Amino acid sequence: MAEAQLKPRTLPYVSAITEGVRAVMLEQPTAFVAGEDVAGAGGVYGYYAGILDEFGPERVYDTPISEEGIVGLGVGSAAAGCRPIIDMMFMDFLGECMDEVANQMAKMRYMFGGRTKLPITMLTMAGAGMSLAAQHSQSLEAWICHLPGLKVVMPTTPYDAKGLIIAAARDDNPVIVVLNKMSLAIKGEVPEESYEIPLGKANIVRPGTNYTIVAMGRMMHEAIKAADELAKLGVDAEIIDPRTLQPFDTDTVVESVRKTHRALIVHEAVRFGGFGGEIVAQIQEEAFDYLDAPIARVGAPFSPVPFSPALEKLYIPNADNIVAAAKKQLGL
Amino acid sequence: MSLSKHAGATSNTGSAGSIGPVGIVANPASGKDVRRLVARASVFDNQEKQAIVGRAVIGAVAAGATEFVYLNDRHGIVANALAEHPHVNARSILEGDTMTALDTISAARAMKEAGCSVVMTLGGDGTNRAFTLGWPDAPLIPISTGTNNVFPNMGEATVAGAAAGIIASGLVSVAEVSRPHKLIEVSIDGERDDLALIDAVLTRERFVGARALLSPEQLAAILLTRADPASVGMAAVGGLIQPVKHSSSKALLLKLCGDNEAQAKHKIKAPIAPGLYTDLHIEDIDVIGLDKPVIWHGPGVLAFDGERERTLLPNQYATLKVTRNGPKVVRISKVMRKAAAKGCFVT
Amino acid sequence: MSTQISNDTLIDMHRRMVRIRLFEETAGKMMEDGKIPGALHLYVGEEAVAGGVMVHLSDEDQITSTHRGHGHLIAKGGEFDQMFAELYGRSTGYCKGKGGSMHISNMELGILGANGIVGGGPPIAMGAAFGNKFLKNNKVAVCFFGDGASNEGSFHEAANMAGLYKLPVVFVCENNGFGEYTPQANHQAIVDVADRAAGYGMPGVIVDGMDAVAVYEAAGEAVDRARSGKGPTLLECKTYRFFDHVGVRGMGLTYRSDEEVERWKKRDPILLMEERLLEQKVLSAEQIKAVHDITSEEVLAGIKFAEESPFPDPSSLTEDVYA
Repeated sequence: MAEAQLKPRTLPYVSAITEGVRAVMLEQPTAFVAGEDVAGAGGVYGYYAGILDEFGPERVYDTPISEEGIVGLGVGSAAAGCRPIIDMMFMDFLGECMDEVANQMAKMRYMFGGRTKLPITMLTMAGAGMSLAAQHSQSLEAWICHLPGLKVVMPTTPYDAKGLIIAAARDDNPVIVVLNKMSLAIKGEVPEESYEIPLGKANIVRPGTNYTIVAMGRMMHEAIKAADELAKLGVDAEIIDPRTLQPFDTDTVVESVRKTHRALIVHEAVRFGGFGGEIVAQIQEEAFDYLDAPIARVGAPFSPVPFSPALEKLYIPNADNIVAAAKKQLGL
Repeated sequence: MSLSKHAGATSNTGSAGSIGPVGIVANPASGKDVRRLVARASVFDNQEKQAIVGRAVIGAVAAGATEFVYLNDRHGIVANALAEHPHVNARSILEGDTMTALDTISAARAMKEAGCSVVMTLGGDGTNRAFTLGWPDAPLIPISTGTNNVFPNMGEATVAGAAAGIIASGLVSVAEVSRPHKLIEVSIDGERDDLALIDAVLTRERFVGARALLSPEQLAAILLTRADPASVGMAAVGGLIQPVKHSSSKALLLKLCGDNEAQAKHKIKAPIAPGLYTDLHIEDIDVIGLDKPVIWHGPGVLAFDGERERTLLPNQYATLKVTRNGPKVVRISKVMRKAAAKGCFVT
Repeated sequence: MSTQISNDTLIDMHRRMVRIRLFEETAGKMMEDGKIPGALHLYVGEEAVAGGVMVHLSDEDQITSTHRGHGHLIAKGGEFDQMFAELYGRSTGYCKGKGGSMHISNMELGILGANGIVGGGPPIAMGAAFGNKFLKNNKVAVCFFGDGASNEGSFHEAANMAGLYKLPVVFVCENNGFGEYTPQANHQAIVDVADRAAGYGMPGVIVDGMDAVAVYEAAGEAVDRARSGKGPTLLECKTYRFFDHVGVRGMGLTYRSDEEVERWKKRDPILLMEERLLEQKVLSAEQIKAVHDITSEEVLAGIKFAEESPFPDPSSLTEDVYA
């Protein structure tokens, strides 16, 4: 269905998540939701609100606080023929279930010679900004992008949130949907109907001619603010939201850099060893001769996420950091 | 830590019985078989058994016991319980490394050898049967941590321990507080080699397997030393038709007819395991005297005290005989009444 | 309540157990001769568990296995050809040579994989049982795991959830007394893993894991319980590993005595079974020998098939990462 035909309304990101989950539950009879506090409470951030009422306890399950068990529930039930939606309340809790994620869910298909498929959708919440400190605020997408067998998406807008959740659930692979808690109230247009944002396809959020900013997750919004500032300095930045990190849409990024000759990568995760480093490598492999400047990176400092609002504000990259990095890179 | 200045000081009250160590056998395997699954039998985990031994030891020490010998199982049930009483003279009499009933049998022999004045056994009917195989007329205080518990005492271990302590101190003699239990002596092909305390069963099953009697329709015959309508297991099957007391010089023999209702003289609903009632068809029932031989022919499996134990091939036969040659089971309430009368716990 | 075990079932169990034994003995030899790459954890000594449990399952029922998983696969109907081919790393193997011994699987037989991670199976089996209950497909999942795995958090999370949701799953603990090379007394404060069941709202029972009939009877009850919607069971089978943790002779470590091994070998589950088959006249000595002979031929044919099979094509290196 062409997107123009769909009826958009303005919804917050949190409601778009709910609509995505609801659409999956409606179109896939073997889908169910399981996770901590997802049923009766509707999720700690409320994005399962109404799902239990609509689909009933046969399809929506509160689980114990047992992350390895939750992922195992997803893996085993998917192997048995279901299409589970499992909730990993905070991305930081991957630490509790990394064996199940890395050694079972990601590898089962390959280890079994392709003789199984695991259509699992995992929703999880990343990001700092709520003074939840070091164990509830991380952006750990680099961990999971390093695991062959997993797909990783990072919706930035309400529109993308709904469409990527639906696409993730239709995919026959385990897909981790990394949501952002500071984006929950961000509003945007969301069609009523079910639609899919194709996995592996980046979005050129703002076209530009002489500068490329690849901004992941909520940093896309900061990049837009930064681009407005940079425009005043004559920099016409093109902003790319990869939306899917694994598989990564290298083509769109490389094509942009070949056009603009300069690039900056920004993510909220710790800069060192972050996914941005991989994007830099991809660009220099494919477009080295087109580059007029070293590629710049913006990310969080090499530190756990601090608790105090004063420090947390310093920790999270923002538009000012992006502008500063760009100016340094461009010698402005 | 004795509660009483008299307890253990036999000169004050006069010695009635023989003084000797208290034996302790706690069967680590009791209370864990498939009857947890097919019936609703309780699980006795080993922490619970350790706690029970602990209470029994406290009771025994309070009553003046000073010396203990025990079967040291791999779980350390008794050893761990005794470790809380460093002042007590306790020693392992046997390292139970086979993890089978052989451990209990060997420990029983060793305890007889060591001159135990009384032995506390923790388990069910099966555990006590194993102990009796090693020491048939042992002075016993059986404490229930098993599945079928017709034989053991269902009371509190603290008090059972106190009774053991009083006997071990010589304040009360086993003879005045016990009665020899009946015994089913079993010979296979003419050779005496097994026994049961409560019940012997011939089932038409073919294998010992998971031991519990899982197929009531296969039951062919039951011989009971006690038939008690207030019990569970085979003793209840007989007891619900024709009770036979512990004190009676009788035994009960039942012949079953499986699914063949037409032949049944009695149809009964009986709790053949904790939480499990089954309809049984009884073709015949006989009260028989002690020492009267009963012969059962193979093929089948012989079960003793609730567990399948021996395969009987088609050409084999078993001879069973109920006697009163069994263990001297101590009546705890009688011990305690005598102890009270002697002021054993008066401080 | 169980009914009388039939001769056919006895013969079936015996055949499955012999198949495991002869496959494993040869696989171990091939590994120690350097023909099979990597590490093999062999199931010899524990055959009664796989044999006694698997006769209750259909091809549709699922199992999760362990690093010591060949026995489970064979007992559930695995073919020697594809199994040996997998161990040899050939393209004709069950996993096209990509899994090997520790990941050998066959989805058509409901085998959700051997697992190289100790404790990897319980969450998956629990999840499969969750799926079965959700799909109302009447399938049962059986999770094989060891005493070592019972110390992993994954076991406890899975057991708790299985009890909570009353899932159609049976947790079969193959307690062989060792977590790799560490005796049980040095890795847990309990001796009976079954004691842990109470904490998760399910019955825990113990059977003699060297006696296939005992395992058969108890597993039958547990599988029936699962299939009839009454929930999970923890069935602990006391068994023993005749070979080393890895391979046959392994590294020759001194973590256990030869006397101990010999004592357990007196209760060899296959000899025990064969004594009974003879005693009950279910099979004659000649018929038993024929089972061994036929199986030996199948083993040789399997080796031949594997050795003649091609290695995977280089192009398959990155195939099957994604669906």
